[in-house]
Amino acid sequence: MSHPFRIPVKLPSSATCRSAGVYTSGALFSLGFWFFVDAAVYSKVANPGDVHIKFPEWIPLICSVLGMLIINSIEKSRLMADSFSYSGGDVAWKAKLVLFMGFAMLAGGLAGSVCFLILGYIVPEYPWPTLYFGVANVIANSLIMLSCVSLWLSQNIEEDYTYNLSL
Amino acid sequence: MAGLKTIIALSFVLAIGFLLVILSSALFGNYFPLLVVATYCLAPLPNAVCSRWSNPDDFESTGPGLDLGRFLTGFFVVMGIALPAALAHSGIIQVSAMVMSILGGLLIYGTIISFTMFFQEESDF
Repeated sequence: MSHPFRIPVKLPSSATCRSAGVYTSGALFSLGFWFFVDAAVYSKVANPGDVHIKFPEWIPLICSVLGMLIINSIEKSRLMADSFSYSGGDVAWKAKLVLFMGFAMLAGGLAGSVCFLILGYIVPEYPWPTLYFGVANVIANSLIMLSCVSLWLSQNIEEDYTYNLSL
Repeated sequence: MAGLKTIIALSFVLAIGFLLVILSSALFGNYFPLLVVATYCLAPLPNAVCSRWSNPDDFESTGPGLDLGRFLTGFFVVMGIALPAALAHSGIIQVSAMVMSILGGLLIYGTIISFTMFFQEESDF
């Protein structure tokens, strides 16, 4: 295989990239989840004010996690099927619909958390330790979105050094 | 052969790791940092369980079962760092307890990984 750069740089194999992508995805998911749990525990235990994280603020997180599960359960070959491939023509639009629902839930979770930040924390103009609860929610949802992206990309790396990143 | 000196050095590092974690909880009278040890002992398990489960006979390097194990391992490794940070941020444990338990946990996890790598190399023929 000819090298893509002038200096022969040895790129890692696709199997290593794929495992690294999956590990990174787990790490990002964990980071996002624990940011939110940290904010929830802090609001219960060490809170200087009297604003707490209540159950409705967990809903964007639940939505994002469900969206991530849905998106990563789809096999990419079913999306690109036409009437001559093994999955048949019917499966393609159903798979695309499910993928759309998954993306919608993921984006909805992020949008919901930004809503909670603006309406619940920025508009009443709370000071920093209380504002952290809303910011942590947004950080958690965006890290879960990044984790989903990393997992989707790494599961769709094909063999033979081709990186087919078209969506 | 992995070398007797390597095995002795790894056991020593494991003992130092356990010492750090036990000190981090005993010095402050608060036993929450022991959760970090539990997390780092759980961390290699998903990889081991999923690799046995999805390919009992042949060797297979990718697949959804293995990916789940790797995802969970990544989750637990970061949880071992994030859990003490969250506890220290809320004041449940002290910051020095957090630092000691994170270092001890990483040493324990590193030792477990090094042992598995050495045993796999010995069994390749």
